[in-house]
Amino acid sequence: MPVTSAENTFSAYRSSRFHFLERLKSGWLVYRENLLGRIGLVLLACFACMAAGSFIPPLIDPIYHPMSGVDPLISYSTGPSLRHWLGTDFIGRDIFSQLLTGARIAFIVGVSSAFMSIVVGTIVGMVAGYAGGTTDTILMRAADVVMVMPTLLVILILAALFGQLSIWIIVLLIALFRWPAVARVIRSQTLSLKRRPFVDAARVTGASCFRIIFRHIMPNVLPLALLYMTFRVTSAILIEAALAFLGFGDPGTVSWGMMLQWVWKTGHMFQAPYWLLPPGICISLITLSFYMVGRAMDEVLDPRLRKEKALE
Amino acid sequence: MGMRKYILRRMVGVIVVFFIILTALFILFRLAPGDPVSRMVDPSLTPEDAAYLIDQLGLNQPLGIQYIYYLKNVFTGFMGISFHYGQPVTEIILDRLPNTIYLFTTSVILSALLGIFMGKIAAWHRETKIDSVMTIVALFCHTLFLPWLALIMIWFFGYRVGWFPLSGMISPEVWVTPGTSSIIKFLDVLHHMALPLLTLMIIHYGSYLLIMRSSMLDTLNEDYIITARAKGLDEKSIRDHHAAPNAALPLVTSVGLSLAFSINGGALTETVFTWPGIGRELVFAVSSNDYPLAQACFLLIAGVVLMANLVVDVMYAYLDPRIRY
Amino acid sequence: MINRQGEHHLPVPQWAVLGFCLLLAFTIASCRQFDASDYLRIGLIAEPKTLHVWLASDRNSRKILSLIYQPLYTRDPVTLEQVPWLAADKPVYDPENISYTIKLRPARWSDGSEVTSDDVAFTGQLIKSFKIPRRYSRWKFIKKIATPDKRTVVFYLKSPQAIFTTRTLTTPIVPRKQWQPIAEAARKKEKPLAALLNHPIYHPLGCGPFVLKEWRQGTYLHLRKNPYFFGSHTKIAGRVLGPYINDLLFKIYGTSDVAILALKKGTIDMFWWPLQPGYIKDLSKDPHIQLFINQKSALYFMGFNLRRPPFNDVKLRQALATIIDKKFITHRILQGQGVPMYSIVPAENRFWCCDTVARYGDGLSRENRIKKAYKILTGAGYTWDVPPVDSDGNVGPARGLRLPDGNLMDRFTILTPPADYDPLRAMSGMMIQQWFRAMGMPAYARPMAFGALLNKIKTEHDFDTFILGYGNLSLDPDYVRVFFYSKNDKPRGWNMSGYHNSDFDKIARASRSAMIPTERQKLIYRMQELVIAAVPYLPLYKPSVIEAVRNERFTGWVNMLEGIGNIWSFCEVKPVTAD
Repeated sequence: MPVTSAENTFSAYRSSRFHFLERLKSGWLVYRENLLGRIGLVLLACFACMAAGSFIPPLIDPIYHPMSGVDPLISYSTGPSLRHWLGTDFIGRDIFSQLLTGARIAFIVGVSSAFMSIVVGTIVGMVAGYAGGTTDTILMRAADVVMVMPTLLVILILAALFGQLSIWIIVLLIALFRWPAVARVIRSQTLSLKRRPFVDAARVTGASCFRIIFRHIMPNVLPLALLYMTFRVTSAILIEAALAFLGFGDPGTVSWGMMLQWVWKTGHMFQAPYWLLPPGICISLITLSFYMVGRAMDEVLDPRLRKEKALE
Repeated sequence: MGMRKYILRRMVGVIVVFFIILTALFILFRLAPGDPVSRMVDPSLTPEDAAYLIDQLGLNQPLGIQYIYYLKNVFTGFMGISFHYGQPVTEIILDRLPNTIYLFTTSVILSALLGIFMGKIAAWHRETKIDSVMTIVALFCHTLFLPWLALIMIWFFGYRVGWFPLSGMISPEVWVTPGTSSIIKFLDVLHHMALPLLTLMIIHYGSYLLIMRSSMLDTLNEDYIITARAKGLDEKSIRDHHAAPNAALPLVTSVGLSLAFSINGGALTETVFTWPGIGRELVFAVSSNDYPLAQACFLLIAGVVLMANLVVDVMYAYLDPRIRY
Repeated sequence: MINRQGEHHLPVPQWAVLGFCLLLAFTIASCRQFDASDYLRIGLIAEPKTLHVWLASDRNSRKILSLIYQPLYTRDPVTLEQVPWLAADKPVYDPENISYTIKLRPARWSDGSEVTSDDVAFTGQLIKSFKIPRRYSRWKFIKKIATPDKRTVVFYLKSPQAIFTTRTLTTPIVPRKQWQPIAEAARKKEKPLAALLNHPIYHPLGCGPFVLKEWRQGTYLHLRKNPYFFGSHTKIAGRVLGPYINDLLFKIYGTSDVAILALKKGTIDMFWWPLQPGYIKDLSKDPHIQLFINQKSALYFMGFNLRRPPFNDVKLRQALATIIDKKFITHRILQGQGVPMYSIVPAENRFWCCDTVARYGDGLSRENRIKKAYKILTGAGYTWDVPPVDSDGNVGPARGLRLPDGNLMDRFTILTPPADYDPLRAMSGMMIQQWFRAMGMPAYARPMAFGALLNKIKTEHDFDTFILGYGNLSLDPDYVRVFFYSKNDKPRGWNMSGYHNSDFDKIARASRSAMIPTERQKLIYRMQELVIAAVPYLPLYKPSVIEAVRNERFTGWVNMLEGIGNIWSFCEVKPVTAD
């Protein structure tokens, strides 16, 4: 894509845009070949169905409400039955409908906090990389400060000090502590893009910094940012689960970590496998599926691996 | 820019970052509602007594003065006295730190070894069933929810099969029996370490496997491997003696950083296995508003990670001069 | 790039794994032979933080200390009456001088030296001069402590105090010879109390049944029988005391699940921590495990902020009290291991508990509760956009409760402790929220970190409603006065609801100096009735204490209020004999 002259700026922009879509399409073709990627997508689809299905049980009967619906006939934990496919928890709530709701919460937590951290990380990375100098130093030092903090431990401390956090604050905090790594990668990517001819060309025609960053650099770093997003989703889900498990989650939200906390704290850990196993397995599988998708995307984006494949 | 100047600049950066963390930590703890006295739910504690106690603990001084004391404490290495232990904080930390280091350095080294070994095999059989299965299993293990796995491990190996102790670091029975030799005591600690180690290895070997696998794939395309093949060396020796050692090099930094991060001990692992380490202590200290202890634990963790980052950066700069821009 | 290094072997994992396995097998084999069979092994949920008797504020430290330092009087496990412990007999009251004379038992500290009246006087002076928190309020009314001889102590009070015998005389006594030097050094410091509390105590010297042998921080604590214990082979309260065990070994288990597994496996003989009801079914199947279920002297309640509207309206509070189904909480959330409470004093405290207080909708069904509350509220001028009870008397979900002034009720919060601290209270908060919402009230349950919670309620008085609990309530009912006395409505004061009633205050003052129990009982009854009629606190429930021990090696645990982990148990537990 050698575009050198100033007059071609517009077409350079157009071509980078076009190139982006083109890459997406060719990327998908490569992705389809990847076994991990396919398994990951199928799993994700299953979880999406669960999340969508979570609205159904409470409509059938209010006793299936995951938080407040109790079975009037059952006041202790029972095993699977026709009435309750996965059994009930200690006050007679349906575990299956809790599990479905958990999938919804996992998606909300994972995707929204990953999205936020990617937005912050990408912007900081691009600005730092493009501006350089003092801006770069300050932003990267800030990234260092955040980066040395062990995320789970810091959020635990905040939860312990400031009281139980609501699910959205937890999402926000996870995002706040997970952007620096993204920023670093995007920054180095930006540094190399900055020296590309089409950016020079844009600058010569008098495009503003803002315009260059968002119109010319962003489309090129976006795939990388998306890749990082899949990894951030997994870590966000795991952090929320760990918080909830330790009793620092949002008690008004039925997440899988919260279900594990209930089974743990009420003394059913080793007596109710029907209650203990499903949430734990779901946490692993959903993070696994995001991981697999991420790995597959990684291979799509990393030309070296593709080349090697082509050689065979 | 010279190497020395680069290192100097990075060190100044580290000091600035450390100072920011130091201050942020202080502000965070003082902003938090409540104080160590407010947790005492006992009708015998009259408001007057409580106020007197707060005064005695130095918690009603202006924040500026408290901050100066705090800085003085940090720089003299005396981190104050824990509110609830009534013991100098440094004493408590020095007591718990070795336990954390034993467990987590061992786990990092063992999982790296396992990861290298499995990664080597996976790369060698790339694009076959062995490779896919190994990668998927590694990824699955890596995403297991740690406390969940830990409790199941305790139940199975500690209770059902009964091979290992349920939790803790030593068996008191062994230690209180007079005349127990130190070899037995050492073995006792190892015995207790087995279960947490196994759990940590299951979770962490996967990431090393993946790094090793991709690094090994790169190495296999290098000229000297092709040369070795051309020389007619047998495949196993090419794999183990030529490709693997070179492919394992990139893992060194990763292992180094993990070692540094391991100091935070994983509050989860230490809590579930009742391992008397620093992460567990930090969580306790925070939940009981024991500022001096919580601050010291956190500073230690942040400080070590900062230093490790510095060392890694400098090492990179030394190996690859292009880094210094 | 084949270098010499490349020719080297990697550390061979197969080899390492094999070696590791061998080592493990060896460790498993080697650790079998130690079982220290005559030790009583006790599981704790967290490590005791300190053995400094004045500093200790966590429960595990106090458990250990209760076996080392002893008070003058303690409670009989069956009658719950006060019995002489370190004292030889009941205190002799002299109304003229307002003085109590107490004779001591012949007793020795664990180093063999004698316990004298001077030690008792020293303990009192120490508490008074340093204003030791939690103890000082029970000692500050003492004018003078005289020691006519080595075995006699005379306390002179400034004014008659009902709590003197029940609260002051149950303070642990410390030896002068260990504490005098510490106190003197601390007095010279700028902050004497802090210096005293921060003085490390590694070897507490007490006169209880056990002495500290070894404490390996973070791992275990080893107590050994005190050869000089004053109760050995002595009959106190009709019981011949031991201790009959030589060694106590405290092990720490970070979670109760693991401790229960340890109990089932037999690596501990007792788990000194109340169990969640969920364990009962499983544990009762095991023939080697014995369960003990005891009552707790506790009060779990919902508090309202009487300082601000709308909760300053007593009718609203009574309506809320009617809606809350205490039996649902004890039956489902506590799994039947708890009882509903109606008065501030627990029913087990038979002498002081008044059972004629109002019971607010007790025994009614959900629908009838709503109807009754609806009646109370409409009577007080409340209206709804959609009322909970329609014109035909059918109950349905309500919307938009309006206060008597016509405004919609603002959203309010129910503060509860966080789930990691007490999952059952957090869960109760969520349930109460649902019940309030069904009445059209915008209630929001909000669990909060414990320190932050108390700060908001006790110090800042910035809350609407909350759920809290007092475990370990003393048997003396003075807390009824403390919780609702109007002077205690101040930052850090115990009148958290802001209840003001001059009649109540008058009776409360009288109750403090009423020295005849039956007279005081009448006053305390009246106080409970006044409080429950005004509902600043709504008593909710009281959980039972469920504990489990292994029965094949030791026997003789003593049931008592608060469970089997009491001083009597440790003085009476015996190894099971072979026959």
